Amino acid sequence: MQSLILKSDSAEVPSLESKSSNQRLSSAIRSFFSLVFRNKEGAIGFGIVAIYLGAAIIVLIASLLNITVTPYDPLLQNVGPSLGGPSLAHLFGTDFLGRDVFSRVVWSLPNDFFVSFAVVAVALVAGAIIGSVAAFRGGLLDELLMRFTDVIFSLPALVIAMVIAVALGPGLIHMMFALMVIWWPPYARVARGEALIVSHQNYIEAARFAGQRTLGIIFKHVLPNISLTLLIYATLDVATVVLTYAGLSYLGLSVRPPQPDLGEMISTSQDYLITAPWLPIIPGLVIAVAVVGFSLLGDGLRDALEMG
Amino acid sequence: MANKTETILRTENLRKYFPVRKGLNPLSRREQRFVKAVDGVSIAVQKGKTAAIVGESGCGKTTLARTIALMTRATGGKLFFEEKEIVEGKIDRSEIYRNMQMVYQDPESSLDPRMKVAKSIGEPLHGLMKWEKQVVNEAVERSLQLVGLSADFADRLPRQLSGGQKQRVAIARAIAIQPSLVILDEPTSALDASVQAQILKLLLKLQNEFKLTYLLITHNIAVAKYMADFVAVMYAGNVVEYGPTRTVISKPRHPYTIALISSAPIPDPNTRNLLQTEIKGEVPSAIDPPSGCKFNPRCPFAEGICTSAVPQLEEISPGHFVACHFVSKTA
Amino acid sequence: MGSLLTIQDLSVAYEARSGPITAVNHVDLELHQDEFLAVVGESGCGKSTLGLSIIGLLPKPPARIVEGSIRYKDTDLVRLNGNKIREYRGTEIAMIFQEPLTSLSPVYRIGDQIAEAILVRESRKSGKSTVDSEFMQRTYKRTANKLKQTARMRHRLSSDLQEEVIRYLKLVRIADPDQVLDRYPFELSGGMTQRVMIAMALSQEPALLLADEPTTALDVTTQAQVLKLMKELIRKVRTSILLVTHDLAVASQVADRVVVMYAGEIVEDARVLDLFSNPMHPYTSGLLSCIPSGYKDDSELTPILGSLPDLRSPSIGCRFAPRCPHAMGVCSKQSPQLLQRGMNHEVSCHLYGQQN
Repeated sequence: MQSLILKSDSAEVPSLESKSSNQRLSSAIRSFFSLVFRNKEGAIGFGIVAIYLGAAIIVLIASLLNITVTPYDPLLQNVGPSLGGPSLAHLFGTDFLGRDVFSRVVWSLPNDFFVSFAVVAVALVAGAIIGSVAAFRGGLLDELLMRFTDVIFSLPALVIAMVIAVALGPGLIHMMFALMVIWWPPYARVARGEALIVSHQNYIEAARFAGQRTLGIIFKHVLPNISLTLLIYATLDVATVVLTYAGLSYLGLSVRPPQPDLGEMISTSQDYLITAPWLPIIPGLVIAVAVVGFSLLGDGLRDALEMG
Repeated sequence: MANKTETILRTENLRKYFPVRKGLNPLSRREQRFVKAVDGVSIAVQKGKTAAIVGESGCGKTTLARTIALMTRATGGKLFFEEKEIVEGKIDRSEIYRNMQMVYQDPESSLDPRMKVAKSIGEPLHGLMKWEKQVVNEAVERSLQLVGLSADFADRLPRQLSGGQKQRVAIARAIAIQPSLVILDEPTSALDASVQAQILKLLLKLQNEFKLTYLLITHNIAVAKYMADFVAVMYAGNVVEYGPTRTVISKPRHPYTIALISSAPIPDPNTRNLLQTEIKGEVPSAIDPPSGCKFNPRCPFAEGICTSAVPQLEEISPGHFVACHFVSKTA
Repeated sequence: MGSLLTIQDLSVAYEARSGPITAVNHVDLELHQDEFLAVVGESGCGKSTLGLSIIGLLPKPPARIVEGSIRYKDTDLVRLNGNKIREYRGTEIAMIFQEPLTSLSPVYRIGDQIAEAILVRESRKSGKSTVDSEFMQRTYKRTANKLKQTARMRHRLSSDLQEEVIRYLKLVRIADPDQVLDRYPFELSGGMTQRVMIAMALSQEPALLLADEPTTALDVTTQAQVLKLMKELIRKVRTSILLVTHDLAVASQVADRVVVMYAGEIVEDARVLDLFSNPMHPYTSGLLSCIPSGYKDDSELTPILGSLPDLRSPSIGCRFAPRCPHAMGVCSKQSPQLLQRGMNHEVSCHLYGQQN
């Protein structure tokens, strides 16, 4: 009975003209945005994420072209007083070496974001494929893949990161690699659950009647139909990676000073918590707000999609 | 039965058993048990005609259809398509599916929700025929027309379509490749009455135009009556009666067929056929069916031999086969 | 025959993102004592919504009773709030649904569930509160002194209770009721669980039984058994039945009177023999000619052209006009009224004039 409401509600007004691929892309973008802005969480989250993302991209390009976009060079010492508080000249104050904290924070943004997106992207793709293949083929392959997933799932992020840091040395890429290795199992599980439902739909069998083989069906029919759930999970997940990476960097396993990195900035300035509180607190706040932004965006997307 | 040269599909003692999961105890002495979904079915379908497999849930008709469609491997027996035996391990699906397609019961799940209508219809053409885009597009357009949908349906997504429209798309997809046999698995059961009539008429029209052969799976006697030239009645994995539609439905001889047909509600408040019927019991377990004739616990004519010997299909009049020890009692 | 249920000018709407959808539009309906009424229509016609509003099970957002009244024995059910409705629901007015498996709790045995229904009835009769969601757990712990029957712990029913449960199981023609008592719903077939549902509904001794597509999910032979049972019971226990179905053939088998709905409105209301021999509304006759009846080479199947209207933007005038082979000018301008045009035969169509 309830299906009466959902069906007539979600049935769009049918479009009568065919669309060129440009129009299709812009309509996909438009539907994404309509979902994002459907509720307050999504809109606010998107705003925050957009600011961060925008800044990160600008900084990334700037670093490649070797131009400065911040008021000061983040590595330059003594551009201001040592341990100076936030002021007009130095929005976030200066640290114990007289470096401008604002510039350092801005320059460290790409690290967190680059790592988070890369890790989630890899986890998403790897998890989706592993989960779908397991669900679709079933049987022994399913068991093997899922038990393998369980094993990887049980590895703690921090320990793996430290092991890699010991083996290969600290660094951004190494930490990213460490996270990629262990981040995909939840995606595999979610993907498997969704793929199981999809695999039992008639259109999958109909694809066989169309001459498709297993691999073709997985890529053409299963993956596209599970992608929505996974994407929403991924959006929420980015926040977690940001936090985890910040933790790794705090432990000194990532970028080494004098390169700026948010987590590392907190750890080197935590002694100044009483005397120059802005030093550890501001990077922490920056991380926190990013996490909140992604969480809101993910929540907003999920609620919007559940409303139909 | 049918003239061999006109037979497009034939099964010989086809069996499909599903193993029942054993418990976790590796030392358990219990033998492997099976769900005998299809337990020895021999049918023949004439080219250009409609053969209906009629039965209730659990009779095995859907499993039979899926086995014929090669979606599941037969446990025993033989299957012949276009006079060629289909042998396990040597199946060339692309070859077979060029001439055999299927339309499913549930229009909601038979189309990929993320694929536009044109893409869904064109999928078998790309996959089996390897035609170029232009040829495929033309075929898709023609298919849409044939099922009564205007060309602008090509770009719609399934969620923009009604149940009846989705089913038309499914039919368009099945006939785009111009197969010789179309398996229809309860094609209208999930549709409203008015839409059902439209689809049935459409299917008949297409059959006339393209000399299609239909294997129609249905539980609805009225639909079988309207669409089929031949009817096979299945009960608990076996065909209990088979023959031309008129004969089987107006002069049923197997006790189950009699009960089945008299249970089908006819829209006539004067006769109220339903209130006259009396059938007791339930469909038997497929794992442990009754011995002998599987219908014997519910049969009003059952006697001694019915519990010990499985009746075979016997021709009681030209083309009319019944599997019953006491078929004379229903004359 | 007295009138048991009188629905007047009932309109129910669902709030959708794009605006309200009128699922039931100004419906007038009467159900008499000891009557078997069938409400027939295709999907989206509002028949299920109608059934749910009678028993107060509409999901209140997004559904909304816009106007009208549902008078059951002199009480307007629409005016009652949540708690008051509960005094009627499951007691005077019982309902059974399409999917028997989801209507029974999977974690309790059949016998226990029917016993619970009986205990609810008894405690209602003796004036105790029935608004207790812990009832099932409490029945096992409590020794009810005031009630004659007791349910002791360890899932054993007292002999009194057990006897009554078996009586109801026999009433619905379940074989081996003492075994079925101990079974769980998933162990039973669809037909049997539906009969258990009927038993539970009847144990409340309701005056009115609502059945929403009770046999649609069942096999044809099982359907025949259940329909036959319902017909018998209405004589035996004097419960009036309102059957909601999409299947006109089913309605013809069991109903005394048939009401045909289309797009939220009643288009025809007649005694069953009259409806089938003299269908007045073009939709009714269209539906009748849609049912396949003859053989392949000799039957006429005339589908109704077009498709169901979009209830989000209902047109002015008769909602069936776009599909009607007899549509006239006035049909797209003015909505027809439901008027009496024969003995106990009402129809809403301009073909029969608009004066009463």
